[in-house]
Amino acid sequence: MSKDSKMRATINQKLTEMGERERLKELLRSKLTECGWRDQLKAHCKDVIKEKGLEHVTVEDLVVEITPKGRVLVPDSVKKELLQRIRAFLAQHAT
Amino acid sequence: MKMDEISMSSLDNSKLEGVAQDILSDLVEDACLGLCFEVHRAVKQGYFFLEDTDQETMRDFEIVDQPGVDVFGQVYNQWKNKECVCPNCSRSIAASRFAPHLEKCLGMGRNSSRIANRRIVTGNNTNNKSESDQEDNDDVNDNDWSYGAEKKESKLTQEIQII
Repeated sequence: MSKDSKMRATINQKLTEMGERERLKELLRSKLTECGWRDQLKAHCKDVIKEKGLEHVTVEDLVVEITPKGRVLVPDSVKKELLQRIRAFLAQHAT
Repeated sequence: MKMDEISMSSLDNSKLEGVAQDILSDLVEDACLGLCFEVHRAVKQGYFFLEDTDQETMRDFEIVDQPGVDVFGQVYNQWKNKECVCPNCSRSIAASRFAPHLEKCLGMGRNSSRIANRRIVTGNNTNNKSESDQEDNDDVNDNDWSYGAEKKESKLTQEIQII
């Protein structure tokens, strides 16, 4: 088990150090904006805010309401593309 | 390829696939949190519902395009011809010349000490009251300084003679 976690830790470190994590983040962000995911969730945010009240809404409120929905709403095509890149990175640097 | 080799590599593959999925999951979570923080800040800073402003109010904030006025509709060369009274010498100075005047008048700023030193030297030899930059106040100071300078100078010349 610890060999696994060691491997994961190494991969994560490499991912960050080589700047790939940042690039992947940027890629995901732009893809999600393109496909309207951001706007969808923002609209959902508006509902949450109107419900909780503009003055009283907390980060926690938003995180609890938005994150689960956000995960579900990511289009398959975007997931596929990101996974492809991640797998390519792993193939190059994980073995 | 042997049987166990195949199964070993497929095990590795499924592990790697698991890692890939986890990485994706982290990235998505990151994106969600990022959005939450952005929205929350927009709410607290008051600009979240900005685009929902009604048409009429929006017209109040349109860019102004008139001569003599900036994009906010404010007059921008209002202070060109105003005059200010210097708190030090009580003279009336043009607004655009006020800052440099104050610098010299108060004896602050980069060149004030140089000018003052120059005056000590020249004020000593010629004792001219007609200064080129008309600061009457300084003439009073000049007398004090030149008196001191006079004393110093004579002392210095005396010393030289002795030697």
